[in-house]
Amino acid sequence: MFPNNWCKWTPVALSADVPAGTVIPAWTPTGDVALWRSQSGQLSASSDRCPHRGMRLSHGFVRGEALACIYHGWSYGRDGACLRIPAHPDLQPPASINTRNQITTEREGIVWVVNEAQDEPPPSFDGYWPLRSMTFQASIAALEAAAGAKADISGLIRCTLGGETAFLLAVTKGEAETIVHVLADKNASLAQRIAISQAGEQLRRDAESADALEGAN
Amino acid sequence: MKLYDYILSPSCYKVRLLAALTGTQLTLRPVDFHPGGEHLSPALLALNPAGSIPILEDGELVLTESSAMLVYIAAKAAPEWLGSGDPAESAQIQQWLSFSHRLTASLGGARLVEMLLRPGDLAALQASGVKALRELEAALAVQRMKGDIFLTGSKPTVADIACFPYVALAPDGSIALDPYPSIRLWLRAVRALDGFIEMPGIHRLHELKPEPAKETA
Ligand code: FES
Repeated sequence: MFPNNWCKWTPVALSADVPAGTVIPAWTPTGDVALWRSQSGQLSASSDRCPHRGMRLSHGFVRGEALACIYHGWSYGRDGACLRIPAHPDLQPPASINTRNQITTEREGIVWVVNEAQDEPPPSFDGYWPLRSMTFQASIAALEAAAGAKADISGLIRCTLGGETAFLLAVTKGEAETIVHVLADKNASLAQRIAISQAGEQLRRDAESADALEGAN
Repeated sequence: MKLYDYILSPSCYKVRLLAALTGTQLTLRPVDFHPGGEHLSPALLALNPAGSIPILEDGELVLTESSAMLVYIAAKAAPEWLGSGDPAESAQIQQWLSFSHRLTASLGGARLVEMLLRPGDLAALQASGVKALRELEAALAVQRMKGDIFLTGSKPTVADIACFPYVALAPDGSIALDPYPSIRLWLRAVRALDGFIEMPGIHRLHELKPEPAKETA
């Protein structure tokens, strides 16, 4: 699972799920983030609480190179600084108003976030490409049991899904909630990718019922 | 065409939305659904003994199911909203129209309990709503693998309009949309359509609205 002793980065989303000009909610061990990509393609991970009144910034919208809050329209730049307060258009917002952005990077279709600078970049998974992100109402242990494989020392779970090899990047969100990014061979055909995706649905059903059985004991 | 309409009803909104997207004129006849319960009045029960809204009247024709209204408006004004006529695609569209009634029963049911304090088993409604959302997410993930964004192809059809409102309003029933990246992009694609109209709780893309001008003294 991620993050771990060797990798402080958290995989939070697939690059394809946050196209230019959009914002999405994401989760890191250091808090919920509004992950957004500016019109020019730059990614930022802002704290998901507006400094004004606490509205979720992931409910906001991206205009140009700024993230705007849906509530009163305060907007923030890539460094987290408040750029504009619509109710006071002539005010230069004080520097203390900041969305405390974390550090983001993208590698082979996966967005990683960390809260302090790292010497090492996040890992790369040679020949594999992310297919989908899924949320399991299940613990990592139940996921591993359903997948029939344990995470290796780097944190990666290698398993067979739909008859194909798949990699799972798992992130523990809560005791019984796990975010899973499913990776498939880069050269997998459309039919193979669909089979892996469907097997992912069964994997989730298995993991969730394993947890439910445990709860019944 | 006359639509017996209630502004907060997602099923009524489906009909208004498709009419707007296809340039179809509707005469709106507001119904005092809440708190008046006018849909159960003798006059409306004479039109629709089931006691539900919307009701669409066009000359002699009276329709009482929103999916039928969507098909009627599309066939009359914009047949491209019924797909290309390919048998498999036509059948899939029918399948999504049926699926949309599961959304109404589950997500819509949870919303009625939460917003209008109607009696109901909230946890059970939410659980069946999550199940339906997962099915939708899996189907849309496959569509994206094929390079399409809408339910049955690269163009929207009545299937997308039938499923859109209850999904967009799922948070009204305390069902989070955070775990569904493909649903999020699909909702965006619908909201970005030319001629899109809003209802309370469902807004057009803010970033497409002009930035409010700086006020001058
Ligand atoms: S809460 Fe964000 S601008 Fe007011």
